[in-house]
Amino acid sequence: MRKLLVMIAADLRQQVLDKSFFIFGLAVPFALMAVFNLVFAPLTEDLEPITVAVSVPDGDQLGAVVPQVLSGLDGGGMPVTVQQVDAADATSRVEEGEAGVGVVVPEGFTAGLMAGRAPEVTVRHADGTGLEADVVTGVVDGLMTQFTSGARTLAAAQALGADPAQLGQLAQEVSAGGSAVAWTPGESADEQLSPQGTIVAGQAGFFLLFTVGFGVLGLVVEREWGTLARLLSMPMPSWLVVLSKGLSSFVLGVVATAVLLTAGSLFFDVDFGSPLAVAVLLLAVVAAATSIMFLIAKVARTAEQAGVAQAIVAITLGMAGGAFFQVGGSGMLSEIMQVNPVAAMSRGLGVTSGGGGVVDLGPVLLTMLIFTAAMLTLSWLLPGRKDAL
Amino acid sequence: MTTTTAPVLDADGLARSFGSLTAVDGVTFQIRPGETYGLLGPNGAGKTTTISMIAGLLRPDAGSVTVAGVPLGDRPIEAKRHIGLVPQDLAIYPELSARDNLTYFGRLQGLSGSRLRERVGAVLETVGLTDRAKGASKKFSGGMKRRLNIGIGLLHEPRLLILDEPTVGVDPQSRHAILESVEALSTEGMAVLYTTHYMEEAERLCDRIGIIDAGSLQAEGTRDELVDLIGGTDTVTLAGTGDLEAAERALADLAAVEQVHRDRGALRLAVKGAPRAISGIVNATAGAGMTLSDVEISRPDLEAVFLHLTGKALRD
Repeated sequence: MRKLLVMIAADLRQQVLDKSFFIFGLAVPFALMAVFNLVFAPLTEDLEPITVAVSVPDGDQLGAVVPQVLSGLDGGGMPVTVQQVDAADATSRVEEGEAGVGVVVPEGFTAGLMAGRAPEVTVRHADGTGLEADVVTGVVDGLMTQFTSGARTLAAAQALGADPAQLGQLAQEVSAGGSAVAWTPGESADEQLSPQGTIVAGQAGFFLLFTVGFGVLGLVVEREWGTLARLLSMPMPSWLVVLSKGLSSFVLGVVATAVLLTAGSLFFDVDFGSPLAVAVLLLAVVAAATSIMFLIAKVARTAEQAGVAQAIVAITLGMAGGAFFQVGGSGMLSEIMQVNPVAAMSRGLGVTSGGGGVVDLGPVLLTMLIFTAAMLTLSWLLPGRKDAL
Repeated sequence: MTTTTAPVLDADGLARSFGSLTAVDGVTFQIRPGETYGLLGPNGAGKTTTISMIAGLLRPDAGSVTVAGVPLGDRPIEAKRHIGLVPQDLAIYPELSARDNLTYFGRLQGLSGSRLRERVGAVLETVGLTDRAKGASKKFSGGMKRRLNIGIGLLHEPRLLILDEPTVGVDPQSRHAILESVEALSTEGMAVLYTTHYMEEAERLCDRIGIIDAGSLQAEGTRDELVDLIGGTDTVTLAGTGDLEAAERALADLAAVEQVHRDRGALRLAVKGAPRAISGIVNATAGAGMTLSDVEISRPDLEAVFLHLTGKALRD
């Protein structure tokens, strides 16, 4: 045990002296996180407040629903101020920039709908409006679709002899009642990382595949240096040397990833949830990433080969795991590509972000356990150097 | 210096193949305390594979290794305590200082506390690196790195020190220093296994030499025993003035002298065991009235022995 600790301590000291760990394990991934956040932040920021000028003819039953629904957006995450004006004002306010969107409901809107005609609602955007105006337009469009289908239903009822006055009242109530299907953000065990969280988790997972190489792939470097032969000639079991490299990788991986996740949380305002659950996930993912390095150390003949193989594996798994962008796809291949430490990191942190605990991480942890066992077994069985498993 | 005590190393019938290639085939030899044994052979002869099996880095396909009475196959950790390995590569950590390298490997050898500090200091002194103990070893010259490499093997005062071509790529001055250090080790009672493809090193350092080629030990013995294997005689050339004819006759009567040729102002002799016979030769020429101005002895070397045994030169 003492010799194991001596070797681990020496390995870690080497990494500190070498500085590569700090550069490639911490500085570079953190810098990339910052860059990605800068690039993608405009797409992920909260929606800005918007003023909507709405013109509805007096006494129009269905037209009156439009400003009511748009006002309802204010409580749904998008600050909206609805101003009821006449048609001319709705247009001028948009042109003067006092309103982001102008909505003009034409005269005879409800009657036209009930008569089966297609009255034209005008939606006008001010210059320079963004996503917020699109949202308003989408809501108006959805409302019109709802009106159209409701009107057709009512027209059918009228044809069957129903009272037109009652039908108009009914149509207004139905339209104002909103959707019959409600959705609620999950509070527990949902995989829901924010865009910033996705960047932090993806980069932490991706660079983990480089960080863990500092330990295990040291076997290949030491093989070239000749120090491995010297270590194996020492009075201790040879597996102790391999174990020390694995544990060095593990420690470096845990430290680097923990620092990155913590820094990412602080600097990019991401909440990954329960620290205990994140810690358990971290241990499992780092173990899996380390196991891949044993496979590389087994087949690589030189440090250069090992470095290239490590880069290829990291980029492949990083892309498959969504470190740079979400990968779509379905079928068995897609499922297999998801079984990797980078994907597990994102999925697991999604679970913890959604309020999930260690139990909720069960499938992810089990996947990583199986992955680790499979990699180590493969390293053991593969023909090659006997000094790396 | 050879003694009759129990061998420190007993390598018996070692064999190892890599696929269809037989790297070592039935190598057997022993080394006793204080003895320096040289494994002499060209690159690819099987020297490194042999010492890898002796140091416990490779498992032999056949045969056994016993170090200080401990069978390596059965009790590897105990046997390895008696071995100091100096690999051919510079097996040091470049970012660490000489002292840190020694301390690290000393700990792995089981040393600690004051004993560790004492040994590190002693080894730094032995290899002449006390003044540079704190500097990163990557800044050392090639010779200094080689000396540190050897020093690590000496840390725990092993019974058997294995040196795998320790002078490869070393400048003449450092080589001289390394050879002097190795010579001193055998006087301290340590058994030394020294592999080399430099004939001069084997002749200078080794009490006994095993000639290895194509994985097999072709012959072993002292330098003279090996030379005797090929029935070689030494050539002695005597230059001088006076009665060369009388000297020729007198020399021909000596038992050690097999042939005498007169070549203008010199006599050329074929002599069995010239170092032992030279005083009799000088006395005989003086008695016959020849005044010597120069004496030259040419002996068959290990290169000739290797050529005779394997049909190829050492550096082939």
